[in-house]
Order: sequence, then C-alpha cells, then structure tokens
Amino acid sequence: MDLFRSLAALACLLSALQVHAGPMGFKDSTMAMGDLGPNWREAWVNYALTPRDALGAGGIWMRSDDKQITREFAEVNYTRLVKRWNAEHSQANIWFLGGIGPVRGTGFAGSRLMLAPGLSADFETARLYVSATARLYRAKGINHDYGAVRAGFSFYETDYDETQPWLIVEARRMRGLSESTEITPMLRFINKRYFIETGVSTSKQARFNFMYIF
Amino acid sequence: MKSFTIKLIALCAISMLTSTVFATESVKITVNGMVCAFCAQGIEKRLGKLPATQAVFVDLKKRVVAVEAKPGQKLDDKLIRAEITDAGYDVVKLEVSGLTVQQIKSEVASKK
Repeated sequence: MDLFRSLAALACLLSALQVHAGPMGFKDSTMAMGDLGPNWREAWVNYALTPRDALGAGGIWMRSDDKQITREFAEVNYTRLVKRWNAEHSQANIWFLGGIGPVRGTGFAGSRLMLAPGLSADFETARLYVSATARLYRAKGINHDYGAVRAGFSFYETDYDETQPWLIVEARRMRGLSESTEITPMLRFINKRYFIETGVSTSKQARFNFMYIF
Repeated sequence: MKSFTIKLIALCAISMLTSTVFATESVKITVNGMVCAFCAQGIEKRLGKLPATQAVFVDLKKRVVAVEAKPGQKLDDKLIRAEITDAGYDVVKLEVSGLTVQQIKSEVASKK
C-alpha cells in the first residue's frame, strides 16, 4: 500500500472514530475534519502541539467537472494560527496552512512532489460568519490552486449546550479542475461536540463537511 | 469562667476551621472571543481536567466561565487563566466566588 493510501486510510479511520472545523483545535487536542463531495474529497487529522501550531496528515482526491482528470494528494501538513483577535462579541483569525506530499493522477506516471501552502481568514460573531481561503496546489506541470469565500448567519443564538443551526453559502474555484465557480448553500449545525455542514451546489452536487475534536 | 472562655474560643476556632474547609470555592471568569460552542469546548475540557475542578459552566451569551473546586481544594487562578489562554481565548476578569457552579448558572440565567 503506498503512502497516499496509508495516510488517507489513517485520516478516514480516525475521522470515523470521532468527528471537528477551523483548521486546528485547542492545545493538546486532536482534530479530524472532512470535506466530501463528488469531485473533491478531503480528510485530515491534526494535533495541536501549542495553542498556535498543529501537525497533521491527510489526503485529497480531486476530479475535474468533465471527470477526465483525477488527482490523489497525500500530505503531511502544518497549521499555524498567525493572529487571533478576541473581542467582546466576536473573534477573527488568520491561519497559515502548509502541506507537502506525493500527488499522482491522470496524465503522468508515478507520483510527483506537491506543495500546498495557503492562507485563511475568518470573522465570526454568535450570529454572523465570513471567511476566505486561498491555497496553492502545485507540482511539476500541475496547478490546482483553490480559492473559497464563505458567508452566513445563524437563525438564532443558542446556549452552550444547544445545537445552533446556520445557513452558509460558499463560492469556490479549483484551477484546472473546473471552469465554473461552484456555489453551495449549506446548513451548518454547531454543537459543543460536533460541527457539520451539508448542502447541494448549484450544479446539483451534494456536499458534506464535518469537524470533530477529541 | 476561665474554663468556659477556653471552651468558647475552642468552639469558635473549630467552627471557623470547619467553615473554611467545607466552604464552596468557585471562580467566575469573563472571557472574550467565545462565539461558538464547538470552539469553546476547549475551555470546558481543559478546565475540567484540572485536579481541583469539581464542575465547569460555560455561558456564551454572557461570556462567562465558572469553575467550582472540589471540597477542601483550592483553585489556582494563574493556572485557570493559562488554561483559558491555551484554549484560545482572552480572560477579561476573574472573580473568586463563594457560590456553586449551579448557583452561578442560575444567577447568569436570571440576568438574561
């Protein structure tokens, strides 16, 4: 079994055992997360070594809209909370994500080394959420740069022990895989134990995301 | 008379000692940045693991975290501040309270 399959199996196994979001949890926590759809399947697990640094491993399977191109990327990754602003009724964050590992897929034999650095920023209150993420997926002859923006609101404020429903709309693009911007309205459910999102894109593709800290 | 005075002093001393040992000790903390239950779970988990912790209460709307000590144990304010910081949040105010977590919870609920 090659490196990709091993890492992907590990990520899936751990994420099946427990379910988390935000790219990392609190110090000494392990977080699993997944983003699952017909053309993009991603799962990874990381461990927060400090309140600001996490190391992890995961896998991404991506496919073009016309189903002619597929990629499998297995990565070890580093997440850094670059800056956090905690205000009375809001929080804002800037994150750095860095991944490295082999990619393989359509159009070339064997595997190539892929680098995947990225930045993400978010702002949230108990009722509003906005975020933007840009991540490069580069290997020799391959460019699948990724960009996404999200915005949404919660239907009502909840107590700590209750589940809070949100409506989130995401727009994202994946270079070299899709020529269109994928728009996905999703229902988000936040509980102190789990974080899940589910929706259907304007191109009628189902989507399921989860995060879990254990 | 002398014997009575000694007994009275002894009784008072025992009474004070007893009330000190069994009094509830809690801290009530005001925290900035708590906007989501999923993210704030780190506060509950980290504070819940402290050896002196009996109970933890988190209220997102009022930005309040309360920790109650086990009977006869003392909470370490500096450690509590550090745990909340390590969970990713900012401590604005920390007050020592003689109330239980349940009483603090009721007090916070009555102010909503």
